[in-house]
Amino acid sequence: MGPLVDFLPNSDRGKAVLNLTNNSTIADMLDKLKIKQKVVVAVNGDEEKGLDHVLSDGDEVLVFTLVSGG
Amino acid sequence: MTYGYTGKILHVNLTKGELEIEEPDEQFYRTYMGGSAMGMHYVLKETPAGVDPFSPDNVLALCTGILTGTPISGQSRLTSVAKSPLTDCIGDAQGGGYFPAEMKFSGFDAVIIKGRSPKPVYLWMHHGEAELRDAGHLWGLKTGDAEDKLKEELDDKRIEVLQIGPAGENLVRFSALISMSNRANGRTGMGAVMGSKNLKAVVVRGKMKPVIANPEKFKEMQKLAKVNMEPTGMDGFGKYGTPGVCSPQHRAGGLPTYNFNSGNFDKHEEIDGHKLYNEHLRGHEKDDQNRFGRDTCFSCTVKCKRVSEVVEGPFKTDAKYGGPEYETLATFGSYCGISDMDAIIHANALCNMYGMDTISCGATIAWAMECWEEGKLTLEDTGGIELNYGNAEAMVKITEMIAHREGFGEILAEGSKKASEIIGRGTEEYLITSKGQEAPAHMPQVKRSLSVIYAANPFGADHESSEHDPGYKAYPERMKEIGLTNPQEKLALNKEMMRFAMITQHLSSAVDSISVCAFVFGASFQLYTPEQLVQAINAVMGWNVDMEEILEVGERRLNMLRAFNSREGVGRESDTLPKKMFKRPLKGGRSDGYFINEEEWEAALEDYYRLCDWDVDTGHPSLKKMESLGLGWVVADNNELSKVIN
Repeated sequence: MGPLVDFLPNSDRGKAVLNLTNNSTIADMLDKLKIKQKVVVAVNGDEEKGLDHVLSDGDEVLVFTLVSGG
Repeated sequence: MTYGYTGKILHVNLTKGELEIEEPDEQFYRTYMGGSAMGMHYVLKETPAGVDPFSPDNVLALCTGILTGTPISGQSRLTSVAKSPLTDCIGDAQGGGYFPAEMKFSGFDAVIIKGRSPKPVYLWMHHGEAELRDAGHLWGLKTGDAEDKLKEELDDKRIEVLQIGPAGENLVRFSALISMSNRANGRTGMGAVMGSKNLKAVVVRGKMKPVIANPEKFKEMQKLAKVNMEPTGMDGFGKYGTPGVCSPQHRAGGLPTYNFNSGNFDKHEEIDGHKLYNEHLRGHEKDDQNRFGRDTCFSCTVKCKRVSEVVEGPFKTDAKYGGPEYETLATFGSYCGISDMDAIIHANALCNMYGMDTISCGATIAWAMECWEEGKLTLEDTGGIELNYGNAEAMVKITEMIAHREGFGEILAEGSKKASEIIGRGTEEYLITSKGQEAPAHMPQVKRSLSVIYAANPFGADHESSEHDPGYKAYPERMKEIGLTNPQEKLALNKEMMRFAMITQHLSSAVDSISVCAFVFGASFQLYTPEQLVQAINAVMGWNVDMEEILEVGERRLNMLRAFNSREGVGRESDTLPKKMFKRPLKGGRSDGYFINEEEWEAALEDYYRLCDWDVDTGHPSLKKMESLGLGWVVADNNELSKVIN
């Protein structure tokens, strides 16, 4: 979400389907996308997952940066 | 030799046309550091208790800070404080651009303004000198036109102008101070205070650059901006600006929609930063927005400001009036159920050319729209305008009418709370105000610590007065720097979250006193960490301040604001949230069904008071707290205050 959309390959309005190897973690996914900045990740709507959380096939992952202003 | 600051404060008495220069000692600058705290020193000393916000006796302070004008990101900020005509409590608003740095270069750290000029004037500060000049020919002009005229008349294109527009002249209660025709000290009606004084503008120019105590260390701090840019994600923030958070806010269920009745806006992509960047920023046809569509403040590498234009159609808009921030996209957009980007860009430009706060303006219109939808307003009230949600033409028309106090705009120019008192008919049920100030676009139902900050903040609901809940868990290293090591679960409203709210409020309060940017210095996503703010101050000033001293500056300023309200007889009874946040669960999206439990919230408010050392029954600061912050004089000098603070 937000500025991170630029990191997604073949993004359609900020959404893309990624092919990851089995037992890939959130950290692996961010590595693959070359996202180096501090982000918040929600898996299937749950924001409490850490970087070592193992993703499953079909998971919906939201990645966003926090900005508390505007 | 003074470092950082000029050592000169300009006092202006507009009634008498007299100007005086004060030269405070170094201890004064170390105690307040500038900005809001410095301004409050004068407001508390010189404004009589119970003053009418439009009285000549209401003191308006415009203050830079100790870092302003040094070549580092995020330092060109100016804070304005005075009693607010919107809230009848203390008012406070920050703004950036090039004006703050140029004011420092003109040879002054701050201007303290009192009285009322018998005719319109502007204040011309340049090269260490200052004078009042006739502004009769500028009165009534849009900000862009007045700025052009001043550049011509002073024969200098490099002047910077902080001014009111026609809305400030018309005493619209949420009028802003505008510089560069597109930067605003937006909130709490500081433009109306300046208008009541017949002061059209403050114009500055100079070459007196602040001296830096430790140039080597300062250079290191400058280089850190580059190092920090990618890992903090501030490069992406600069590219898409604050509008980049529209869609993420919607996804989290926190994009205020239909006057705060939902956190879910189906058309969020239509008002998001991507759409703005790709289709509306200047230069988008050549994919060269970076060059033509982004702008910045003096010496800031983040470059987050938008330059948007509408080249044709009913909402044709000149790029000189800038582009909408996230708050503006929300208030004129999702708050009103509007997804027409051209209309929002146009309403933003109207606010900048007439000089109004986009948050209060958009939110006041959204409140009127809900009143209309609920059948509390009729065509007779609105002068024939249908105010249904989603009506972009009506939103733009009403914005213009407010600036001119024309027709129904006359009532809305009072702000939504005062307007509800005029209209009656139960319209107060739909308010989203705290202390009479309309809530910005971050939802306390979703980020719970904001429920207490919005209520207890001395100048009304504000989103820049503390860090927001998700930041606690997401930025553990930075939070540790300010003593926060125990992040809580989502939606928690317990003692630890109140500690988080208060300590980050002290840091934000220090940021508003040092007068630096809340996107560049802070405890979560910002470019520099809190410790790096300490290092930057020491590099510029040659001091040895630590984090504790910085947080104390913030706490000092917060208690000065609070004491001002106490003196006005304003205490705990005003620390409230809009009724709808307790009574009406949100509808739709991730936050469907969310509301704030009033009992839990009251307990949290009391926890917060205890942490602040404020009286739980009255909400006033304790004498012990005031004295420990070196503010005993505030109580001793004010009879009204010594009656309530003990």
